[in-house]
Amino acid sequence: MTLASNQSAPAAAARSFRERLRRRGQDRAEAERAVLVLHDVTKTYPNGKTALRDVDLVIPEGDFVFLVGPSGAGKSTLIKLLIRDEIATVGSVVLDGQDLARLPRRQVPKIRRKIGIVFQDFKLLPTKNVWENVAFALEVTGSPRRKIGPAVDRVLALVGLTAQRAQLPSQLSGGEQQRTAIARALVHDPRLIIADEPTGNLDPLISWEIIQLLLRINELGVTVMMATHNAEVVTALRKRVVALEEGRVIRDEVGGSYHRVD
Amino acid sequence: MIGFVVFSLKRAWQGFWRNALMSLAATATMVLMLVLLAGFWIIQTGLLSALDFTESKIEVTANINIGATQSDIDELKGRIQAMPEVTTVTFVSRDEALARFQQSMKDQGREDLTKYLDTNPFTASYEVKLTDPGEAPKVAAALRHDPVVRNVLDTKETAQNVKTVTDILRTAGSVILLVIGVIVLFIIVNTIRLAVVARAEEIEIMRLVGASDAFIRWPFVFEGAMVGLFGAIITLGGLYLLADPIGSFMVDFFRVLPLSFGSLARDLVVLVSAAGLGLGVLGSWLSVRTYLIR
Repeated sequence: MTLASNQSAPAAAARSFRERLRRRGQDRAEAERAVLVLHDVTKTYPNGKTALRDVDLVIPEGDFVFLVGPSGAGKSTLIKLLIRDEIATVGSVVLDGQDLARLPRRQVPKIRRKIGIVFQDFKLLPTKNVWENVAFALEVTGSPRRKIGPAVDRVLALVGLTAQRAQLPSQLSGGEQQRTAIARALVHDPRLIIADEPTGNLDPLISWEIIQLLLRINELGVTVMMATHNAEVVTALRKRVVALEEGRVIRDEVGGSYHRVD
Repeated sequence: MIGFVVFSLKRAWQGFWRNALMSLAATATMVLMLVLLAGFWIIQTGLLSALDFTESKIEVTANINIGATQSDIDELKGRIQAMPEVTTVTFVSRDEALARFQQSMKDQGREDLTKYLDTNPFTASYEVKLTDPGEAPKVAAALRHDPVVRNVLDTKETAQNVKTVTDILRTAGSVILLVIGVIVLFIIVNTIRLAVVARAEEIEIMRLVGASDAFIRWPFVFEGAMVGLFGAIITLGGLYLLADPIGSFMVDFFRVLPLSFGSLARDLVVLVSAAGLGLGVLGSWLSVRTYLIR
């Protein structure tokens, strides 16, 4: 394992902590401190197709992880497991100390509030303006009205959309739409942000803007997992890279590039 | 909690008018069903009270042999009263029977032929009232075999005819209402399904941000309830406007007015509102349930 010279001491400590975890296998007491632990996860769909095989993954608090791999490698399935849209056929997915497979159906909405999710196609409601789109996430989860206003204002300031608060998604640029989606993902104060190809529909300059925003959010202590095909970004940032291929983790290295370097 | 209710009601209202044509079609079908329900209920109530009236007149009349002694007659009364099916026994003497006949001839404006007779042709009788009209044949048969009894008249048939009509009406009415009820249910399920599909994008986002099933389900349940409520209000409003004609129709048709219109109106309000709301809620619940499971 190689560490870049400019990395801070706490970050290095976190990484050595993770290394220790890996070496010792699944020590439960320590694994519970990670935001996300996948242990021996295999997912086979009812049609017989196996999308993930024996995946082990530990993501500690505050990590920034790129999830890379060709289409059909299992990235989408992995994300579906994390938000419990699907349940692992074998193995366990533990998010913030809770085993998602054993989670009662009624508890699923609560665990989803610990995850903020951002998509390639933004998934904004076209009839609601920026402010309303973000507030919607709090409104439908039963937040009291007096808390909604300040929380929405805060995240809009964080993503830099305070001025555009009254505009409809159709009046926004792609980058602004994605920032709205990120604000919505943040408004619940999640433990983990999952970004599924967040720059897939954006031009390179705007893509960088979005990546910078995700990095800033990560610096604020939110764990970020970003699935992407954007090799340039992955290689340039030298963050942790988890590569999937045919449902297996073929590479998991810190400071990795998009492609394997032999 | 208040926020939840306000949210759900607001979305239900938006949803209802977003697909106004379909919602109004569902409401119209609901009105049709509720009008039929109310109509059957009114006719049934009228017939039942007519039946009550007829049944209260049901009795078995046992004519007594002319040669019977007073002690025979008294003993017969004892034997009749001993039967468990009997409520009251009334003695009608020969003179009373003659007087009744003469009165009824006079009422009908016909000539009284009894004045040409030397003797009273009528026999004394016991008029027997029963606990249940169904027991009439049994009581009549027992009395026929009594040595003091000359012959037996039973007026059961009239009542039986009314009862048959009521039974047929009740059965046919129930079947028709059931069929229409199922159709209304299907229409509501479909209307709400359309509303759900129109909001598919929102529902997906709601799930992703961690909205509980209640927040997804109740707006649609309220929307179904709105269809039922509007249907009930329109139906009851129509009935209210037509209350006078309906009242006079009932008096004319059933000849009697043994029912109080107030209690019928109260029953109708409860019945129509409950049926409307119940079907609306049930239909939308089923519709959303299948969607949530998928």
